[in-house]
Amino acid sequence: MTEFLQHIVNMLILGSTYALLGIGLTLIFGIMRVVNFAHGELYSFGAYFVYFAAILLGFNFFVSILIAIVAGCLLGALIEFVLLRPMRGADIDTTMLIMIGAMIVMQNGEQYIWGGVAKSVNTPFPQAPLVIGSVSVSWLSVFVFCASLALIAASYLLINKTKLGKAMRATFQDRDTASLMGVNIQMIYMATFALGSALAAAAGALLGPVYVISPQMGNLASLKAFAIVILGGLGSIGGATIGGFMLAFAEEMGAGYISSGYRDAMGFLIIIAVLLFKPTGLFARAERIG
Amino acid sequence: MKRYLPWIALVAAASIPLWLHDPYILNAFITTGIFIIAAMSLNLLLGYTGQLSLGHVAFFGIGAYASALVSLGFDVELLFGIRVVHEPWPVWTGLVMGVVVAAFFGYVVGKLSFRVRGAYFVIVTISFAEVVRLVALNWVELTQGPLALTSIPPVTLGLPGVGYYDLYSKQSYFYLVLAVLALSYVVISRLVNSRAGRAMVALKENESLAVSVGIDVTGYLVLAAVVSAGIAGAAGGLYAHYLKIIDPDVFLFLYTVTMVIMVITGGKGTLAGPIVGGLIFGFIPVFSRSFLGPELQWILYGLFMILIVFVLPEGIVPAIEKWFAARDKDPETPLVKSTQAHIQDAP
Amino acid sequence: MTKTKSVTALAAAALLSASFAVPGVAQTIRIGVNEPLTGPFAASGTYVVNGAKIAADEVNAKGGVLGKKIELVIEDNKSNPTEAAAVAEKLITNDKVPVMMGAWGSSLTLAVMPKLLEYKVPMLVETSSSGKITTSGNPYIFRISPPSSVEAHAFKDIFPKLHIKKVDFLVINNDWGRGAAEDFGKMLKANGVQVGNVETMDQAAQDMSAQLSKMKSSDSDTIMVTTAVEQLTLVLKQAAALGIKKQIVTTGGSQNPDQLIDQAGAAANGTYHLTTFAPWFADDTPDPAATKYFLGEWKKRGFHFAGATESFRGYDGIRTIVRAIEKAGKAEPAAIKDGMWKVDFSGLNGKIKFEKQGPAGRESGQSFPNVYLIKIDGGKISLPKL
Repeated sequence: MTEFLQHIVNMLILGSTYALLGIGLTLIFGIMRVVNFAHGELYSFGAYFVYFAAILLGFNFFVSILIAIVAGCLLGALIEFVLLRPMRGADIDTTMLIMIGAMIVMQNGEQYIWGGVAKSVNTPFPQAPLVIGSVSVSWLSVFVFCASLALIAASYLLINKTKLGKAMRATFQDRDTASLMGVNIQMIYMATFALGSALAAAAGALLGPVYVISPQMGNLASLKAFAIVILGGLGSIGGATIGGFMLAFAEEMGAGYISSGYRDAMGFLIIIAVLLFKPTGLFARAERIG
Repeated sequence: MKRYLPWIALVAAASIPLWLHDPYILNAFITTGIFIIAAMSLNLLLGYTGQLSLGHVAFFGIGAYASALVSLGFDVELLFGIRVVHEPWPVWTGLVMGVVVAAFFGYVVGKLSFRVRGAYFVIVTISFAEVVRLVALNWVELTQGPLALTSIPPVTLGLPGVGYYDLYSKQSYFYLVLAVLALSYVVISRLVNSRAGRAMVALKENESLAVSVGIDVTGYLVLAAVVSAGIAGAAGGLYAHYLKIIDPDVFLFLYTVTMVIMVITGGKGTLAGPIVGGLIFGFIPVFSRSFLGPELQWILYGLFMILIVFVLPEGIVPAIEKWFAARDKDPETPLVKSTQAHIQDAP
Repeated sequence: MTKTKSVTALAAAALLSASFAVPGVAQTIRIGVNEPLTGPFAASGTYVVNGAKIAADEVNAKGGVLGKKIELVIEDNKSNPTEAAAVAEKLITNDKVPVMMGAWGSSLTLAVMPKLLEYKVPMLVETSSSGKITTSGNPYIFRISPPSSVEAHAFKDIFPKLHIKKVDFLVINNDWGRGAAEDFGKMLKANGVQVGNVETMDQAAQDMSAQLSKMKSSDSDTIMVTTAVEQLTLVLKQAAALGIKKQIVTTGGSQNPDQLIDQAGAAANGTYHLTTFAPWFADDTPDPAATKYFLGEWKKRGFHFAGATESFRGYDGIRTIVRAIEKAGKAEPAAIKDGMWKVDFSGLNGKIKFEKQGPAGRESGQSFPNVYLIKIDGGKISLPKL
């Protein structure tokens, strides 16, 4: 029972960050139809930026996280403007190839700038863990959990309660009609990519200090984000949130009670199963992907 | 003129070992050739049916493992105490089994995953490859997991009673790879120019129309997946017996990316595309190695990839064809139009 | 468009200059270095290369070997077996190196090995730990890093003092980790220690809480961990966050204890590490003068001290090769291969002298370095007197 409770706590923390990663990707994937292979690189960009701001520039830890999120947002807007805008209307594999190219350039650029040796960021949190009964968790993880939930809630409000969010939803449902109704599609695409990138950078900024920061950290993040998006369905924030927690649950329980060697297979097995029985993801609105 | 082009290319390629004696470049030709074969098989799915398989390396790796295991032998215990012992077989049977096993997985994956399209199909195929990699990593009894299968024998040619000949030398491997490449080219070109191939292109262009005129969409897609997986398996078998060691790294996502780059930059949906793209991206690392640092080589690779997509979104081969067509005013009709006409003619 | 043109022009110029820059034949003795400089193992490969450069500069400052300077031809194998084999081919046939060092990871080394047989060129293996490397009958392999069976053997005399009764393993899911779990498990079982869970973690995994939670509730008293320093940092931090109070012993020699202290902080306190090189106690190493010289150079070049425990293998590797060339009397592969068997000197982590391993007539060389147990306490490294 002790072990089970500990697994549940681990799952909640892991799941909240998975959700954050997934939401960014699902927005880009759903609204722009771009398979964003650079998502993991924006994640590691966020992590490196926290290192840069907190360790090298000496900013406060929390301020550094905010700076990293803003930087991720700007970088996303730049990528959209330079790489994606000229290719508007190209098919899905063409833009995907561009994003793979961007991924290769960014990952090796990171290694060129920072070197291959992993970096770590010290945090103002106490090292001694928070212990409740038999369950133990670090204070940093508690902070990451709360910050992730706050960001998830903020993006939910942004999409559902603001004018920009309304325009994004309209574009998601029918781009041409939205355009006719006076929605500035170019602006929506840029906002979407910037928002998605900011969320990825936020995930990296929060998790970088928890783990270590290395140029390859984005690879696994990208794969997991894809898994989450498929579980939740394209373009659904609620879906991505639940998908993130589900993936974390499967991994945690898989490693704890089945086999740690297959831990990372759990997510993919779920994906295959979901797609076979409910091809549009668990929570997607009815739609057809062409 | 255009009809003879493949023959000219084949003769030119066959002459390479006669005048090129640098083993390093020859080695680059062999590994590039192996990846070109894999890229050609991917092109059958991506270029002709429009389905982007990002897990294509799974078939490549399955072919490699199947071929290696058949020629090395294995001894595993399955569920309920059933024990399977396999004595080593000649290498060429391994290669054939590699093709068969990969094709079988192509059938299964095709049957299951063509229920979804577009982005979903992409993710299912990635997931499939990842699961296969993890099985290869963790089923230590069969695959030796991360300990790698080593001492894989080289390809042997020969007949029982007549004698065997081990293909140790680079030259003989070069010709073997070239032969498999030519064979795959013939198989793919026959297939895409057959009724089945026209049906595939038709459903790529307009699936609902294709369905409405009675084309068995899933049937043709599965056929394409089986042939494609089989050819990728052949490439994997060649890889295993050439490198003589395989481990779960054979499922690196990077290898799939390499294949996709070769197909798209060369020109998807053209027979020559993967070959042209393959030669370019197979040799960029060989040349950039001599004047750039390790990270910068990768950065150049990525930038070049983006650049090609920007400048020639259709790919290199279609761009060249267009250029020639404009110059010669060649009256040849593009493939797409003829197939659409074909659909409308269909009863 | 002009921008593209200038880039092409630049590339062409670079190509030209590269082709003109062919150094004079036989002015130097070339040594091939085949290491991962990009990809997942980039950090370690770079450390090893930096160590190798220190050795090369040292040798050249003293007048080189056989009256010639040595020149390292360093190539990146991209952490990828196909590339590792291609790089070996290039080094041997294009750069005409008579001897090589490489290739860090076991699968990378295994991929290079058929090329050694093909071209009959010897290679010094500085890091890889897989048992298969020296037992598969490749007489061109000379290894200075210990396979895990050697480490396990050395641990036999140490573990009783740590009062281990039951042990869980947490290892990286590759040949190195699996090999360690197997060899240490076998040795411990034979000596009356129970072996509990054997858990693996994927090479790229960052979250090991699930595996650790399982161990938290098991009845073992010790967790043995085998992985590289980045993942080890995470294991220690996550074990501390889970409130695990068990004894942690790490193996494998890639721990970089300084990096652990730096990055894991208090979580590293109380942990034990089996290592093959102890730069913190230069006076206790087999050749204190060489250790001090190496560490001095390492610092002078501005490298992080933490890298020394990885890079010393590159340093010793090149020094071993140079001695083999000296014994051979000429820079030719067959002579260097014979020269390797005559090498006998004190490396930074013990005597380097090759013993025969593998099938008779085709033996590979394996050297047996020292193994130390160190402890981290209060952010400091100590050699516990047990």
